[in-house]
Amino acid sequence: MVHTETEKRPYECRSSEHGFSRRKLLGMLGGATAGLTGLGSLLRPSLAAEMKAKERQVLLIWLDGGISQLESWDPKPGTEYGGPFRAIPTSVPGVQISELMPHTAKRMHQLAVVRSMCTQDENHSTGVPRILRGDPKNRGVDYPYLGSAVTHLTPESRNGLPPYIWIKPGSGGFIYQHAGFLGAKYGALALGDGKPPIHIHRPGKITEEVDEARNALRLKANARFRQGRRPSEVDAYEYSYQTAQQLMRRKDLFDDSQLAARDVERYGTHPLGRHLLQARRLLEAGVRFVQVTSYHWDTHGDNFNMHLDLVPQIDRPFAAILDDLNDRGLLDHVLVVLMSEFGRTPKINQRIGRDHWPEAWSLALAGAGIKRGVVVGKTNREGTWVDSTPYDVGHLFHTVFRCVGVDPTKTEYVNNEQPLPVVRDDCPPIQEVLA
Amino acid sequence: MTNGTSPMLEPVKAHPGKSFKHDRQLTRLRFSPCGRYLFAGGLEPLLHRWDLETDQKISTPGHTSWIGGLVVDPDPQAARLYSADYHGNLCGWTYTTDGVRRAWSVTEAHSSWVRALALSPDGRWLASAGMDRTVRLWHAREGKPGPVLAGHAGYIYSAAFHPDGKSLVTGDLFGVVKEWDLATGKAVRDLDAKRLHTRKENFLADVGGVRALTFDAAGSGLLCSGLADAESNTFCPGTPCALLLDWRSGQTKQEFRIKEKADGFINALRFLADGTLVGCGEGQSGAAVWFWKPDQAETYHSIPGPTGYDLDLHPDGRQVALALFENRGRTGNGRKVERNEYVPNGSLLRLLNLYAKV
Repeated sequence: MVHTETEKRPYECRSSEHGFSRRKLLGMLGGATAGLTGLGSLLRPSLAAEMKAKERQVLLIWLDGGISQLESWDPKPGTEYGGPFRAIPTSVPGVQISELMPHTAKRMHQLAVVRSMCTQDENHSTGVPRILRGDPKNRGVDYPYLGSAVTHLTPESRNGLPPYIWIKPGSGGFIYQHAGFLGAKYGALALGDGKPPIHIHRPGKITEEVDEARNALRLKANARFRQGRRPSEVDAYEYSYQTAQQLMRRKDLFDDSQLAARDVERYGTHPLGRHLLQARRLLEAGVRFVQVTSYHWDTHGDNFNMHLDLVPQIDRPFAAILDDLNDRGLLDHVLVVLMSEFGRTPKINQRIGRDHWPEAWSLALAGAGIKRGVVVGKTNREGTWVDSTPYDVGHLFHTVFRCVGVDPTKTEYVNNEQPLPVVRDDCPPIQEVLA
Repeated sequence: MTNGTSPMLEPVKAHPGKSFKHDRQLTRLRFSPCGRYLFAGGLEPLLHRWDLETDQKISTPGHTSWIGGLVVDPDPQAARLYSADYHGNLCGWTYTTDGVRRAWSVTEAHSSWVRALALSPDGRWLASAGMDRTVRLWHAREGKPGPVLAGHAGYIYSAAFHPDGKSLVTGDLFGVVKEWDLATGKAVRDLDAKRLHTRKENFLADVGGVRALTFDAAGSGLLCSGLADAESNTFCPGTPCALLLDWRSGQTKQEFRIKEKADGFINALRFLADGTLVGCGEGQSGAAVWFWKPDQAETYHSIPGPTGYDLDLHPDGRQVALALFENRGRTGNGRKVERNEYVPNGSLLRLLNLYAKV
């Protein structure tokens, strides 16, 4: 059924592997009475591994504006551009990071840090979408953001929750633009300040029966409206309504009274801490892709005073969510990506700030499919340039897709009958970080 | 000098004197009381001295991080100065015509950055303060620790002794200026400079702080400077601002502004002998040196130039030395930069004669 539906679509993943696994999976689910665990034991090892891969989730932590690599993952104390912060040892012998990240330093054995990112865009306006779309070659279409791509390329979750949730400061809403040519359905459900959509609570005067009657009427109207229109428009509407309904059944996910005081303390009460704690709850519930965005890391002025206060705001909750995912056994299933659109200039400007620097910066990965306790790549002594194999966004996207069980070399989109690679076809994954 | 008398102070006719280039950004600057030497430090672990008679520079190691505080003993016979760095290290130095020598040092006198040093008028007490939110007093000549003054909630950026030697003031990120009674080591009162602090709902961090504190000669007025109405925690743009507080009442007597377009911190201020003010800081259009009359909110004169990080008044009162930003090529922001062109930004130390050119 799912397969038939997708065949109608003008855009779809054309992976034979993907199609096989869906048909296979559906058939097995239809014929089996066993639960998923029991079912897994009946599968061939390769298929079992594939199924496990398909369950994978992603947490993307996006520090918008750009954290300084010199004040985080790639400190260069005592050098021309190194700044005033010290480097501290980590749980991986021989690896040091900035003293601003003492909590993360203790979890370094769970991380893979890439210090040799070298990307193409120096500007926010073009850099953010360019990076989050995987820096595709210009093919005349809008590629989907990573969250949309992952949720499209991986099987639909059976939990009915929105597969792509974006926790961000400010307002929320359904951000269909992230879906690009995939169609609005694959957009992001943005939770402003981590809060649920405003109408998640059914008004008290509307009973369940009345609500069901209203819903039946709505479905009839939808069916009529669907006639003669592009399916994706109605699908997107229908889909967003269904996910909203599901969210209404999971109000517990947003009930802060259920949070342990200790967790609130560990994550912090600042927005990034609260949002990462919310992300943990959503990942536990099975949301496929959660992005947490923190704005205002663009420290062109007073960089060092600002990083003194900003970096601890990611250090503690990042360590906390690594611990929690690990403790819950989720770190084998959840890929964690911590990154910005670029790093910051080694050179210090007139406002004692650092500007945009795509030439040599760092990011961190953890969890599903990622080797633990490794540092990949290096910069030169001053931290100005990459002094090893440089990695671009395309390499990162290949890596992410591999980790969630998608082989970009065997998978492609089809948009209006035009086959399109899911990611740049001139980049391999960052092999050194793959487990 | 003109016919054996000092020329009249006329900042509107100010003209540049000597200048020196340096290959790193210098953010702290002080004259020796004899006026012959100019000491400076900044974004490197070196203490520099320029001899204004010979133009010779000597650079002395001794620190392990950026220089965050620099103060010179006002007694020419003492020939001493003190410096502190971002690793919390504190150094006492002596100087002669031959050079600068370290007299003592305290490793990790503070657990974090030292951002301010002040010396009592008699040269006996050195106060250090910084990001660990404590104020520490030291017997300046020996480097022996004295009382520790605790009470600030925010990072401390500035410190100054009252001219009577009985009080110390320290200013923090939140715009709180604490007066400490040196006899008891207790905080006597908080003065309100909160205008220099901004925290909006969408900020990730507090912006601003009392970046400089200066008393007038009589000790009746205290200048606090920094940035008001910050608009973000990224570029940290806002309104350059200085507050003149009445020392007795603690009330703001005047808020000083920049007439020209400017959006950064006022980094340093001094009273001139005629009661007018000179300051420097960051300006969007590059106005770096500003002059005010005490009874007028807006500058009456500005001298364009790059960002000024610090200034000091020559002992003769008729020259000011400025530590200015020197652009040494693109940072790489928004445009590719060639590897062989990539060098740290630097400084221009400029003397400014505050009188008409003869």
